Amino acid sequence: MTGRGMTIKWLFLLGAAALLAALIYNLADALRGGPAERPHVIVMVKSTATGMEFWGVLKDGVLEAAKEFDVEVEIVGPERETDVDQQIGLVEKALADKPDAIVLAATDFNRLAPYADRIKEAGIPLITVDSAVNSTAPRSYIATDNVEAGSKVGRKLAELSGGGRSKIAIISYVRDTASQIEREQGVRAVLKADERFEILDTYYSGGDETKAYEITKSLIQQHPDLTGIVGLNEPSTVGAGRAIRDLEAVGRVTLVGFDSSVDEVRLLEEGVMKATVVQRPFNMGYLAVKTAVEVLRGEKVPARVDTGSVVVTKDNIYEEEHQKLLFPFIGMNGD
Amino acid sequence: MNLFRFKSIQLNIAAAFAVLILLTAVFMGVISYQLSAVAVRDTAKDFTGEIVKQVNANIQSYVTNMENISLLVLNHRPVREYLSGDAGDGGSISEFFRTIMISRKDIASIGAFSYEGERFASDRRDARLNPYVKVADQTWFKEAKAAGGRTVVSAPHVQPVFDDEYRWVVSLSREIRSADNTRGLGVLLVDLNFSVINDIVSKIDLGKRGYVFIVNDEGNIVYHPQQQLIYSSLKTEAIDKVLSVGSGTFMTSEAGQRKMYTVQDSEYGWKIVGVSYADELIGNRRQMKLSFVALGVFSLIAAILISVLLSRNLSKPIQQLHEHMKEVEKGNFNIQVPVDRTKEIGRLARTFNLMVFQIRELMGQVVKEQEFKRKSELNALQAQINPHFLYNTLDSIIWMAEEKKSEEVVLMTSSLARLFRASLSKGKELVPIRTEIEHIKNYLTIQQMRYRDKLDFQVEVDPAILSCMTLKVTLQPLVENAIYHGIKNKYGTGTIRITGERHGDRILLRVADNGVGMDAATRERLLAPDSGGEYREGKGVGMTNVHERIRLYFGHEYGLTVESEPDAGTTVTVAIPVVLPEEAARKEAAER
Repeated sequence: MTGRGMTIKWLFLLGAAALLAALIYNLADALRGGPAERPHVIVMVKSTATGMEFWGVLKDGVLEAAKEFDVEVEIVGPERETDVDQQIGLVEKALADKPDAIVLAATDFNRLAPYADRIKEAGIPLITVDSAVNSTAPRSYIATDNVEAGSKVGRKLAELSGGGRSKIAIISYVRDTASQIEREQGVRAVLKADERFEILDTYYSGGDETKAYEITKSLIQQHPDLTGIVGLNEPSTVGAGRAIRDLEAVGRVTLVGFDSSVDEVRLLEEGVMKATVVQRPFNMGYLAVKTAVEVLRGEKVPARVDTGSVVVTKDNIYEEEHQKLLFPFIGMNGD
Repeated sequence: MNLFRFKSIQLNIAAAFAVLILLTAVFMGVISYQLSAVAVRDTAKDFTGEIVKQVNANIQSYVTNMENISLLVLNHRPVREYLSGDAGDGGSISEFFRTIMISRKDIASIGAFSYEGERFASDRRDARLNPYVKVADQTWFKEAKAAGGRTVVSAPHVQPVFDDEYRWVVSLSREIRSADNTRGLGVLLVDLNFSVINDIVSKIDLGKRGYVFIVNDEGNIVYHPQQQLIYSSLKTEAIDKVLSVGSGTFMTSEAGQRKMYTVQDSEYGWKIVGVSYADELIGNRRQMKLSFVALGVFSLIAAILISVLLSRNLSKPIQQLHEHMKEVEKGNFNIQVPVDRTKEIGRLARTFNLMVFQIRELMGQVVKEQEFKRKSELNALQAQINPHFLYNTLDSIIWMAEEKKSEEVVLMTSSLARLFRASLSKGKELVPIRTEIEHIKNYLTIQQMRYRDKLDFQVEVDPAILSCMTLKVTLQPLVENAIYHGIKNKYGTGTIRITGERHGDRILLRVADNGVGMDAATRERLLAPDSGGEYREGKGVGMTNVHERIRLYFGHEYGLTVESEPDAGTTVTVAIPVVLPEEAARKEAAER
């Protein structure tokens, strides 16, 4: 046999082997993965109550991502945000279900932490959304940069305030919730740097509008020199706004708040509230599921994803983009 | 070609076939997969096109509906009168609007707003306007005013003009002009519940992940299931391409995702765009691939099986031929290769058989010739009279003649003459035992005369066998041996006894002497083949030659046996078959 013939033979054999390899690869590819292998992701929200627009929109984002990435999602959560125990129970149940990934919006920064660790120990990737937990277990945290959002509120308040001394009260919601802590931190950082401002205590409404109303009412009455109120979430802001409206303190007390609702829009239009910082819950839900899918695919994901926030004032309520954020059309997917 | 230079034909053929079939299968598989993929994609394309057209038609019907309502209102004189401030009251117009809206769940509201005097009428009873919102600032209002009587369709938006209402609607607005069409009086608003359009679009299924979105002529997104992501630039759509394509289809590819855009233009300024994922278009791609791969594997197995079978079929007769050749190599020519049905191999087998047959024939001939040659050689040797014997005999005769023993001279000379005649025996190989006995008697007579009292002999042959045939000169070498090796060295007179008898179907001729005999080793050597054919002084023609001649002539079961004991004597027995003279004649004739 000639040397050339030898080469041709080897080339030929090599080609045949490559062909066979391609065939086997295709076979494996064809056999691998089917409809049965859709990843199962449990999304644990803070509240499933129908009135909570924020969570409704977030769910829309979750469902939209589930459709796009072909994921089987299961959305669970306690009835009310304050029901930490119920959420813990649901986390335990989710652990027993052994999903492929868990997306968690923690109702309590510290109390959910051991459960985050347990999720990690069970080998289930954990993504936190909106509210973090005091644990290193989550692979990624997808939320508004609440410190930044808080600063935006602070800056807006500073911008709206006159030259004189200002006394500011902060009405928060649930103590020890990560988002609350961060927002307050952002607000305080801006206002402390500005010597015009004196910050009163932080008051907790417990996410209850009536309680926020009562708190604000007594604050306005007790502190005649109160010039500004920051509401750290929707019920706290609306409650404060109602109190200001009822006490006819609109000109005296500047209200800057968080989140959105028809009531807040109303307060904006009326001029009771000067601005609100709106988050992007749709993006949060969407990105949380997307990130979970990326983790399941073995991709590297950023530890922190900021979904951003927008300052809405009376003048730009009806801008196209803000309409979507302020008047969420829940159930876009028809689910 | 050196491509398939493996060592065995079978492997060669198997490899060639396997590769050939595999290549064909893969080639066919790829082509048919491509063709099916194209066919499926085309079907999907048509299907998507139909769906998008349907969506457009549905939305169009709602828009047409709104236009019809607007026409109805425009042609209603009291509306104009009311807006211009001439006459009428809002109440009756509101009543008229409500009548239009009966059983029209898709319409959210109808309103008419004057340019001057802040007059307005709507379908709502006791309607109040949102005190914090100016109607004149609304986009739909401004655009209708600018359009001068043409209808304007807005993007979905929140309608804030009614107090305490924030509804998602699509607004159709149109300027209401004076009866003489010289000036605008106000703007008519017809709001369509956005949920109607949302329901139409969101319920569309374009595969698992496909979706429908809508853009307006300026390229602003009117509706998108992931509108928020687009606002945040987390997602982009190929808007430029959508705008440039009019109605039609194009493909895009981003981050390894191939998407098909199906665009449908509309009369109301929107473009309906269906987006489907290419890998979903061929929904059963996986199954298709799987079945093609299964086909490939199947044909590979088939290829290997077929090629193994085929090549075995081909190489089996060759193998068989090879086995037979090996047999021939070992010397077995009595074989016949079964002739294969295949032309080439069959021909080969036939030729081989012919060759083996010829070799066998040749071998037989050679063996025969060799035997014949040997026989003739031995015969020639046998026919010779030992020259020493002749010399000695003649010497004895001279010596006796000198002594004037004429009687003895006559006896010896006549015995010698008879001996010669007997050994000639007309060239025949077989002679009657009688002749052989006669011959040996003559020989013994001569020897006895030479050795005198040293030799004595007796001949006792059954007269019944005298006419039976034997090879000529069978006994003489034995007797010669007995004399020279048995008796000559013996002290005193030795006796040679020749007997003949029939023993079953054999005749046994014995030459017994009472000479010195021999030990077992010598006896063994006596008939050994290596001593055969040699003529040595004093030894006469070897017994071996006699033995061999008999075996050659009559077969291996015949021949000589020697019994001997030192100092007691030796007996050599010749065993031959019973051959009658007529048989002998036939045999001789056959031999010629």
